[in-house]
Amino acid sequence: MTTFDAPAPAAPLPLRRAQPFFIQIPSAIWFLGRDRDYWRLMIRGVALLAVTLGIYRFWLTTDQRRFLWSNTEILGQTLEYTGTAREILIGFLVAIAILVPIYGLIFLATLDLGLIGSLAGIIGFVLLSLLGQFAVYRARRYRLTRTIYRGMRFHQTGSATAFALYALLWWVLVVLTLGLVYPWAQAGIERFKMRNTYLGNLQGRFEGSGGRLFREGFVLWLVTVGPIVLGLVIFATQLDFKLLEDIAANITNEDELKRIFTDNAGILVLLAFGASLLTWPLMTGFLLYPVFQAITMRWWASGLRFGDVAAKSSLRVGQVYGAYLGFLGWTSLVSIMGSFVAAIVAVLVLGVGTATKFFEDAGNLETVGVAGAIGGVMLYVILALVYSATYHVKLKLAVWRMVAQSIDLTNAGTLDTVSSVGAPASPVGEGLADALSVGGY
Amino acid sequence: MTTSGPGIFFDGVTSARHDVTVELSTDTLLVRSVDGRTLADWPYDRIEELSAPQGLLRIGRRGGITLARLEVIEPNLAAAIDDRSVPIDRSGTAARRDRRKVVFWTIAATVSLVLMAIFGVPELATRLAPYVPLGAERRLGAAVDAQIRSLLDDKKAGARFECGNADAEKSARIAFEKLAGELVIAADLPIPIRITVLRKSEANAITLPGGIVYVFQGLIDKSETPDELAGVIAHEFGHVAHRDGTRHVLAHAGTALLFGMLLGDFVGGGAVLIAARTVLQSSYSRDVEATADSYAVNLMEKAEGNGRALGTILDRIAGGSHPIPKVLLDHPETKDRIAAINGMARPAPAKPMLNNTQWAQLKRICSG
Repeated sequence: MTTFDAPAPAAPLPLRRAQPFFIQIPSAIWFLGRDRDYWRLMIRGVALLAVTLGIYRFWLTTDQRRFLWSNTEILGQTLEYTGTAREILIGFLVAIAILVPIYGLIFLATLDLGLIGSLAGIIGFVLLSLLGQFAVYRARRYRLTRTIYRGMRFHQTGSATAFALYALLWWVLVVLTLGLVYPWAQAGIERFKMRNTYLGNLQGRFEGSGGRLFREGFVLWLVTVGPIVLGLVIFATQLDFKLLEDIAANITNEDELKRIFTDNAGILVLLAFGASLLTWPLMTGFLLYPVFQAITMRWWASGLRFGDVAAKSSLRVGQVYGAYLGFLGWTSLVSIMGSFVAAIVAVLVLGVGTATKFFEDAGNLETVGVAGAIGGVMLYVILALVYSATYHVKLKLAVWRMVAQSIDLTNAGTLDTVSSVGAPASPVGEGLADALSVGGY
Repeated sequence: MTTSGPGIFFDGVTSARHDVTVELSTDTLLVRSVDGRTLADWPYDRIEELSAPQGLLRIGRRGGITLARLEVIEPNLAAAIDDRSVPIDRSGTAARRDRRKVVFWTIAATVSLVLMAIFGVPELATRLAPYVPLGAERRLGAAVDAQIRSLLDDKKAGARFECGNADAEKSARIAFEKLAGELVIAADLPIPIRITVLRKSEANAITLPGGIVYVFQGLIDKSETPDELAGVIAHEFGHVAHRDGTRHVLAHAGTALLFGMLLGDFVGGGAVLIAARTVLQSSYSRDVEATADSYAVNLMEKAEGNGRALGTILDRIAGGSHPIPKVLLDHPETKDRIAAINGMARPAPAKPMLNNTQWAQLKRICSG
């Protein structure tokens, strides 16, 4: 009898690798995967996406999830993703069968010149937004029921239609209040999702409070959206609308415009001020997005509960900035390499072409033009795909890893006493989400 | 001979973790708890390998009622299980073979969809267009008309954008309607035609679904004889007769569906899509224009006009060679078109479609 007599490892961290430059603190959740493996998966995946004009995405998505899930270790046990590409491909085809008639009806309705025609756009938009939220919920159910932890399946109850109405209402409020109620919207939506989420018989819930997120993020809102509000108020009170009408009426008449502007120098200043207020949020939004992401992710993770198991995240803003800087660094590298290759090819073509007098024939010139156009499109596609791979590895994976590893669990012992319930759900929601482009992990 | 080693077992009923001993007997894999109970007894051919991180073998029972999972880290034990069980494929050979099949079939599907877009969709649009009721086509035209009008009217001329309404333009309009009227009678189209001259300097004319034809001022300025102008109008009537507007909308919707929905929008896919559509569009339109040309020649001769005049004005407007590669051009090579027109048309009749006075009047249609 051969016995491989290593004792069953009692420590919960059998697969964790020592990471250089980091002191390894045993934490509740750990991510085991290496960038190198994810690079390989992504590069091969995006190449196949290009060749198959995107049909390969079902397999790539499944591979990505298998990688992310199976490398996420919670209390010594990794998650398992059991979904298959075939399932989501079929789900997608079913979704197309549902969506095509809807798109067809909306198209026919826009042809009507009466009331229906003018309303068709709005009705269509509302309908598709609802369907989008419906799909978000169903896709989540699909992913949860394909997630297994310690031999227990996650599942999700609750009506997707109710969720769609609830979420859409919140989003309307978010838009109407220029984002001020966003924290409460997020809290409400997460509460809805989490109270319908189960690991076996262990019910989840969400305890993040909107007020708390509001307090943490209010400064961000003030810096980004505040100036727009201020600008709108100034415009509404200070702007001479009669003058604006004059300008619009004389927009082609230069002399008249000159006269209007010299007589009312103030309006130019006001318009310039307005323009700068509108570009401001673009700039701050770009610079502060990592802060926003860090705050919302930490808040979200810290609000997760399963029974009496409570999560608490210690994600730091600096970490998320680090991920973004890493991503920027890599994309710059890719861009430089791409331009370099393009420049070499161009120089070679021009050099050889001139030397052999190839360009002097108009027919040849045309061929070169077509080849150049095709080459340009190809280079663009290749670069875009490499960017996308970089984005997945250096940003999405990095954020996944740092959020996971920032989480600490209390009362984790409860996770030993879960019993099984829940059956796998249909992948149609996932397909709808894909067809409507509202997917995600 | 039995081989055994350590493992971690979850029975699928509760989440409790069991540290177990795995025993590999001749036909089955036995999972025994510390106190010697048998927790699982899985035949080797029923074992399935499940997704797991590197360095861990995770297995379950294929088609099992519960989600019982056995995890093995010990590399020699994992290798021993792999040796005995056919479904377990740690080297990934079978998975790679499956994936190659997937890649082959997805590429085949892509090729078939692209071929469908190039040949199937325009053919289908051509077959389907005659079944679209004329009423629907007119409504489609009205919807498109509003958009096109505001797009064309870039100087915001509003009501003055149409020529022939001012008092000074009335006589010109009568002449224009005489010319167009002769073509309308000769064409005998199933749909009423609405033909309008627009104050636009390009030498062009366009047709919208539902029998709406717009002739630009620039075209009238460039025309040297009434037959030349009539030739272009006859060409546009060809688009009306073949229902090219409706066909275009159908074909556009078809390719949008194929490329936009079935094929995903992967990053960078947008560029491929635009490039593909440009090339496709120009190949559709080359056929469409050639057919409208031959219709125009026939119609002109039915209306006792000069069939070759269309070629003459084409040469004047688009003459000279284009530096742009021909696949990217919307219209077929002008030279080829002119040659085809001249090949079809009979020699010019003795008198033009309008007399000199009428033609001089018509030329002033946008003078008001």
